[in-house]
Amino acid sequence: MKITIINGSPKARGSASELIIKAFQSKLGPNAECTVCHAALWAGPKVVETATMSDAIVLVFPLYVDSIPSHLLRLLDTQGGALSAAAPGAKVYAVVNNGFYEGRQNAVALEILRNFCARYGLTWGQGLGVGAGGVITAVPMDSWPLRPLDKALDDFADAVAKGAIGEDVFITSNLPRFVYQLSAHSEWRKLAKKHGLTTKQLYQRPAK
Amino acid sequence: MGEGAQTKSTLVLHDLPALQAADLLPGDSASFAVFSALPAVHYCMGCFGCWLRTPGTCVLKDRGSEFAGLFSRHENFYVVSRLVFGGLSPDVKAVLDRSIGILLPFFRTTHKEMHHGLRYDKRPDFHYLFYGDATEQEVATARKLVRANMINFEPENYSVDFYGSPQEAVGALP
Repeated sequence: MKITIINGSPKARGSASELIIKAFQSKLGPNAECTVCHAALWAGPKVVETATMSDAIVLVFPLYVDSIPSHLLRLLDTQGGALSAAAPGAKVYAVVNNGFYEGRQNAVALEILRNFCARYGLTWGQGLGVGAGGVITAVPMDSWPLRPLDKALDDFADAVAKGAIGEDVFITSNLPRFVYQLSAHSEWRKLAKKHGLTTKQLYQRPAK
Repeated sequence: MGEGAQTKSTLVLHDLPALQAADLLPGDSASFAVFSALPAVHYCMGCFGCWLRTPGTCVLKDRGSEFAGLFSRHENFYVVSRLVFGGLSPDVKAVLDRSIGILLPFFRTTHKEMHHGLRYDKRPDFHYLFYGDATEQEVATARKLVRANMINFEPENYSVDFYGSPQEAVGALP
């Protein structure tokens, strides 16, 4: 089975999307022939060419302002017709991760993708909305805080491999909400310091 | 459009081609600012520079970095966007993605959800004017998207409307 994965992170490497893709690929069986495209680095026609006659197209991206990052949205907007013509039988799946705790906050982005499929006659397979995305780049995928994601990716990979259609699934980390928030705030402060800024300076208002 | 809107300062973000915008939109004045999403600004790189390096301002060097600074200077913010799959157009979305510096990196809880804090006390009312052909489902999605955006940006008031053409959408501006 041919699977085209589209990495929708704007980051060339080291993104949560990349780690999700690696974990997802490791869970697919030997019959899966996978290619990973990078929406920010690849020209649209090259993505379409790569996806030709795919059985599944899997989009993996971070949530930006409740929706799809603009560069990935542009790819879908400009190449949707060509993608549909090149892979008319493909089912479309997506994994969206966001920095808030609740995976459910990815629901609108998944709905936008379902509308994309409806516009271009593609079949929607299933979406996975992942909350507490900051944990993904912080600890190993098989560690306790990410166990819900690891388990959800088992089921998700199984669904993609079978060409199954299912309800969207929403998950978050095993970390309690307040621990996630405290850790994130501590990380922001550490990064600010690294850039020579105090915590107070992070609140500055350049527009008067 | 309420009459009060006539006297409030207005910021418009739109994705109309230059010639059409010149025909349809008034020029900038003290109380009316227009920001075109075209030519497209660079997409957000996800670097968090607008939170951690130059708080409140995007670090990328193109005009997309100017937009966040305009928000708190106006009382009404209008988004004129082609409706794309029930959301904003890629051009308008690129500008908004580059403007998350109007929020803080730190989280707050609102509507029983985690969201980013608000950098500015003064925030404009938001008005979304979508144009283009739309299915019922896309309209429903756009309403959900706007509601989610409004929880994040927390204006006092907001509205969302749908129009068949950009001319009709622009006709709804104050």
